Amino acid sequence: MSCSLLSAGSGVADLSFSSVLSRLPIHRLAPVLLGCVLCVPVEALEYQLHGYAAQGFALSSGNNVFGDSTDGSLSYYEVGLNAQIQVRPRLLLAAQGAIRDAGATDTGVARLDYALMDYRIVSGADASAGIRIGKVKNPLGFFNETRDVIFTRPSILLPFIYSDNQNQRDLVFAAPGVQLYGSAVRGRHEWSATGTASADRYLSEADERLLVVLPVPSSIQMKDSWNGQIMDSIDGGRWQFAVSLYYARLVLNALYPSVPPASIYGNFGVGVDVISARYNAERFSLTAEYAIGPNRDYVTLGGNVIQNFRIVADSGYLQGDYRINSRWSALARADAYFRDRGDRDGRAFAAAHPGASAASRYAYDLTAGLSWRPNARWGVWGEYHWIDGSATVQALDNTGRVPSDHWSTLMLMAGLRF
Amino acid sequence: MALVCAPLGARAGSVEVIVNPDHSSAPIDRNLLRAIFTMRLRQWPDGEPIQVFVMPDGSELSNQFCREQLGTFPYVMRATWDRIVFTGTGLAPTVVSSEREMRERVRSTPGAVGYVRSGERSELLPVQPNVLLAPLGGFWRG
Repeated sequence: MSCSLLSAGSGVADLSFSSVLSRLPIHRLAPVLLGCVLCVPVEALEYQLHGYAAQGFALSSGNNVFGDSTDGSLSYYEVGLNAQIQVRPRLLLAAQGAIRDAGATDTGVARLDYALMDYRIVSGADASAGIRIGKVKNPLGFFNETRDVIFTRPSILLPFIYSDNQNQRDLVFAAPGVQLYGSAVRGRHEWSATGTASADRYLSEADERLLVVLPVPSSIQMKDSWNGQIMDSIDGGRWQFAVSLYYARLVLNALYPSVPPASIYGNFGVGVDVISARYNAERFSLTAEYAIGPNRDYVTLGGNVIQNFRIVADSGYLQGDYRINSRWSALARADAYFRDRGDRDGRAFAAAHPGASAASRYAYDLTAGLSWRPNARWGVWGEYHWIDGSATVQALDNTGRVPSDHWSTLMLMAGLRF
Repeated sequence: MALVCAPLGARAGSVEVIVNPDHSSAPIDRNLLRAIFTMRLRQWPDGEPIQVFVMPDGSELSNQFCREQLGTFPYVMRATWDRIVFTGTGLAPTVVSSEREMRERVRSTPGAVGYVRSGERSELLPVQPNVLLAPLGGFWRG
């Protein structure tokens, strides 16, 4: 049995605000929000509609990525449509629906990406603050919030810190809850901060199968989930620095069909902390991010402890982007992931688990890519990944296959936005 | 109706900020300009919603405006607007197709702000102060 976020986290203190939050009837806010809209004359409403659509192609050697890519796959696509309504200058309603197909982890099921009410409490040139309620995006690193829009992420396949092979969109990357945000300008610095407390909730079956391998039906509740980010943008974004934190606790319950039946209980503390830095120049940008993910696993069967350990994964990358001209851009990236930072080469794990591959505990990825943006609406991207290690291979896309330790992937994508 | 230019030290031949005359008295410095064009600031001090107009991505004027007036790069601004739009945390600026449309929309939209190329007429304006009649009305430099 395993629970695998990058970080699946360390001991999380009981956060009473999260428990309180879980009792908030967020789903019942819809009539209130609708009332807010209806009480304003139609001509006073300002609204916008935006969307994106992109079709991908994957061709890989050794392991499948986002579908049966070893044979060449067109199953990877992403589509989204959003609307924002500014009810009053301080009050904004927004929602986005999205569909994404990326192999076994994301199967083209329509999902509500976010749906929120944003109220601005403080509004000034040098300082602003507000609150968002609803299903909100969790700021994590530079790119999590807009990870599904090819125009806004650093490459077709995201760096390992974003766990692109695991979906988790309704698990970690967006959640129902309350988000406070604020910003302040001081000299050359624009500081911004976001804090999110997410509602306790039971996971869907689709999310459960990404987390737990268990031969019997189970339920998993996510509790005490919170997220925070502080960012400093210097000289109009020439330099950008950010620290992001995420923690949650997953509580597993299942019944093992022994005679007599025995209850299975699991308590998994999961977390991801990300440090991000970016330098933007006229022609090039340099981006580096490092994530560390502590994961505390505690499992009992019939009251007896069968699993009790703490493991810390980490991952980091350095990416350079070069804007050749207004239409063409190139990227190069070195990326690495380690399932156990105390055993980066996996030897200790392989020694303790006869038959297991040391390479299943790490992954190195060298990426080269090129993009063409003929105008603001269209774009075509291409990239090649040389990968060493199989730690990031998604098992659900490779059922019945022995993971290859040295492999490569060609990714192509064409996208439209409006 | 008058359009108001807030040049922020703009040179002739470069870019000037224009504001709907309802807010002509608002002093505009770079911080305020960044707050407005990153869509962080939604209201003028009197509570009127700010309406932001920009030229299309990749246009020379848009590039000039980002560099000269905001002190940043066009692709950084695009990333900022995309982040807002695709996270549901604000509205994107309205894109106009020409400087002529920019002037018309800013003039006719309450709370509007945009930018135009500093024309020859501006070159003739005295640095201090103040008002010169132009085809669209009065220009103000301060």
